[in-house]
This record gives sequence, C-alpha cells and structure tokens, in this order.
Amino acid sequence: MLAYQIAMENPRMVLAEGIEAMEFDELSNHYMISGVPDTVINADAGRVVGAVPERQMLAELMRALE
Amino acid sequence: MEKLLPPDIVKQIRDVFQQLKNPVQILFFGTEKHCDYCAEIRQLLEEVSELSNLITLSVHDVERDADLAQLYRVQGKAPATIIAAREGDQVTDFGIRYLGIPSGHEFTTLIQAILMVSARDSGLMPQTREYIRSLTRPLHLEVFVTPT
Repeated sequence: MLAYQIAMENPRMVLAEGIEAMEFDELSNHYMISGVPDTVINADAGRVVGAVPERQMLAELMRALE
Repeated sequence: MEKLLPPDIVKQIRDVFQQLKNPVQILFFGTEKHCDYCAEIRQLLEEVSELSNLITLSVHDVERDADLAQLYRVQGKAPATIIAAREGDQVTDFGIRYLGIPSGHEFTTLIQAILMVSARDSGLMPQTREYIRSLTRPLHLEVFVTPT
C-alpha cells in the first residue's frame, strides 16, 4: 500500500506494481524473492524486505536513487 | 453465477465505500493465454464495482487491446488490475497496479487503494511527499507479495 501511496504522489515518475510472487514466478526467481513483502526499487538499485514504516521506506528510496 | 464475496464482506465493503468521494476507474487486463484465474478476478472486480456507483470497471485483453496495454505498461503482465481516477470520460492513471489474484490480504489492499484514489490523496507524511514530488528520474517499485 505504501508503494501505491508513493505512486499517487507523483504518477508521472512513479510506477508501483504489487506482484503476486507465485503467479509471476519467473520474475520472483529473477530477483530471488524468498520472503514477502519484498520491494524491489528500480530493478534492484535497492531492496526493502518486509513491511517497513514510511520513514524507513523514504530512507531506502533516497539511498537507492542518490 | 455464485458470488465470490460472502454477504458479511459485502456489508463491510459497502460500509467503507460510504467514504468514497470521487469517481474511480478500475481497468482489468486479462489474457487468453495461460490465465487460470482471469475469469475469477474479473468476477471479483465486477462484484466490488457493483457496491458503489462511483466505481466503474472496464475489462480488456492484453493481446486484443495491445495498444491500450502498451499505454498502461501492462504488456506481458496480465492478469493486471489498475486503480485509476475518473472525471467524466477522462481517466487519470496514478501508476497503481496489482499483478495477479487480489485475494486475502491483497484484497484488503485493493479496497484501500480504491479509497485512496477516490480521496485523491496519498496520505503520506509531508517530507515523503516533498521528496517524491522532487523526483527527476523514474522510480519503479515492484512489491512482491503472496496472497494469504
């Protein structure tokens, strides 16, 4: 849901996809998803494992995009 | 056809949908290739859409409606559910998609996404809003989940 909130804030720049890991197993295998939720930022420029608070997600985004 | 949503869930959704403010467009992209659950997802979305006159559902096929699928960046990503805003005939895409079967916890997320888009407000903290609005390069978030 946090990813959706982020997309809503700037849809011109952000694409947020919730992906069912079992249905899209090739993609899950590609990213070696082992637990959920697992957020892949810009094709693995960053990774956030687990459901994290907004503040932590923001910090991870800043790290991944700097 | 038998309903997918049980009556108590329907009542709960009707209750939260009282909060809906602005029209929401749900776009479903299915596929005829290897999609065991497309009919079920479509039925689920139809049942949800029927619970508010502010929600409109349109159903598409990634192969037959290839141009539209490309516009919404869902080629090869069916079954895809897009939660967008609608003003009259105008649909505004907020980059919000769910790929797969929205059941269990993901069904709850779908309902939350509908409420958020209807409110036209992300509800994020001011510092997060500021950072996200200042982005100059694309940000792609792929959130892997399992329906539990």
